[in-house]
Amino acid sequence: MTNTYYEFFCPVKVIAGKAALEHIPYELSGLGAKRPMIVTDKGVRAAGLLDPVIAACEESNLDIVCIYDDVPPDSSTTVVRDIAAVYRKEKCDSIIAIGGGSAIDTGKAVNILVSEGGTDIAKYSGAGVIKHPLKPFFVVPTTAGTGSEVTSIAVITDETKGVKLPFTSSFLLPNAAIIDPRMTMTLPPHITAATAMDAMTHSVESFTCMAKNPLSDAYATAAIKKVSQSLLQVMDNPKDSDGRLELAQASTMAGIAFSNSMVGLVHSLGHATGAICHLPHGLCMSLYLPYVLEYNLETIRQPLGELLLYLEGPEVYADTPASRRAEASISALRKLRDALYKRCQLPRTLKETGKVTEDQLDHIAEMALDDGSIMFNPKEVTLKDARAVLQRAWA
Amino acid sequence: MLTKRIQPMASQAKRLYVELMFQVMGRALQAVSEVDSVVQTEAKALPEGFLFEMMVMPDGSKLIVEHMGEGRFHYHGDTAPRPVDVSIKFKHLTHAFLVLSFQEKTSVAFAHDRMLVDGDVSYAVRMTRVLNRLESFILPKIIAKRAVKEYPVDLHLPEKLTSAARIYLKVATHFVQSARA
Repeated sequence: MTNTYYEFFCPVKVIAGKAALEHIPYELSGLGAKRPMIVTDKGVRAAGLLDPVIAACEESNLDIVCIYDDVPPDSSTTVVRDIAAVYRKEKCDSIIAIGGGSAIDTGKAVNILVSEGGTDIAKYSGAGVIKHPLKPFFVVPTTAGTGSEVTSIAVITDETKGVKLPFTSSFLLPNAAIIDPRMTMTLPPHITAATAMDAMTHSVESFTCMAKNPLSDAYATAAIKKVSQSLLQVMDNPKDSDGRLELAQASTMAGIAFSNSMVGLVHSLGHATGAICHLPHGLCMSLYLPYVLEYNLETIRQPLGELLLYLEGPEVYADTPASRRAEASISALRKLRDALYKRCQLPRTLKETGKVTEDQLDHIAEMALDDGSIMFNPKEVTLKDARAVLQRAWA
Repeated sequence: MLTKRIQPMASQAKRLYVELMFQVMGRALQAVSEVDSVVQTEAKALPEGFLFEMMVMPDGSKLIVEHMGEGRFHYHGDTAPRPVDVSIKFKHLTHAFLVLSFQEKTSVAFAHDRMLVDGDVSYAVRMTRVLNRLESFILPKIIAKRAVKEYPVDLHLPEKLTSAARIYLKVATHFVQSARA
């Protein structure tokens, strides 16, 4: 018997498809919640994305008690404390986070404070500190990429200490994730592309890194198929609601996959690049993915070869000799990136971003080496290796 | 019947083995930080006074080392002078035994959720690299390959033997000093 072992956990109720938002009142009442608070950002509100949620609740005689719409892109402990104060003042009993990664992480952190008590979120930082179920918490993602609606982690910046505080607990998982194509319909092309490539990277790394397991594999491959089949379609026709739903579902499935099998070097490099050069996460994922796969190639040849089926379909898979499928998978991803570059100039190299200088590569490599996700990369990475990957990704 | 009698003995043997391995590793961490410049460079990035712990949950064997500055570690045995900064916790004695008997690589044990990190993950990643470097030095290559994700290609036999001899000598000296004290 081998030492094979894995864990898989996802208790989030996924409510997906046409008129999914209209299920929110019923689902809230099922948890005994009557006074929900919405946590979101100004961009989401300005785009009119709150309107269908509010209308859906009002039609079921459920009042949204208050709306906090000032979540910044990089949420902080102060913001979390302020929102918790509003929640308490208004006697809310549940939270609906509507937005991208920052609004969702903020919602998770606010839920810790209002459920556990106190005003200092920092004291709940770390793994397994929270021991009790929290207040009813729903997430409505407005991007299709982060998968935050099904992950048990939140990251909040501690402004006073200048550090990012991670919060990890299965109790952070929302009660429900509501995936409605109306919420991503107005995403601009470059954000649609970058976030979809984020979901693609979550899936590919989930399928090729060390903690892969049969259940996360199933979610990862399904997500890859959906992104491969729908992304360019949506780029060409942004109002394609079926395509939008496919991408949104892919993002959630990729989130379930990677939160149960972790990610690798693409994320290590992406986190470091994001921190140093302030590039969006999805863009970094798209940028580094083929270069890291080439670096890992000989360690992941078999699983990467299998992905060709989901990237290019059964005909290409059958026509490609087994020994060439891994390389063909990388080519398929490069082809997709080229198509995205043509449509929205999503950068394929660090130079194309125009925001990274070559002398920053050493710093990025050093920071990437200390990133937690590097532990799960299938191949050992030294500083020299990380530098070499960055150099290839440069131009 | 026989199984029922053997099981507690096997469990006790595992406990003793894990405890012994922690004692060896703790002393070896101190030793390798005195002889290897790569480990010193890694350790220098840790704050002075940084306390690192490896332990078996819930209250089993443990090893604690402190970064004294300049890349040097000091082994504290199983008692920390103050709350530790980073702890790598094996969820069960069996999981610690799998790793410390080289049946499961440290990286695989992380991937298998056999252990969890309490504290700053980036420091835990750094300490894991130090542990890998140590294992590459002190274990025969055939066993080290079972312990680390990838045996370092630039670690050649003369350097390995010289460093291993110095580390073992320091570990043995530390054991004798501890016994005398």
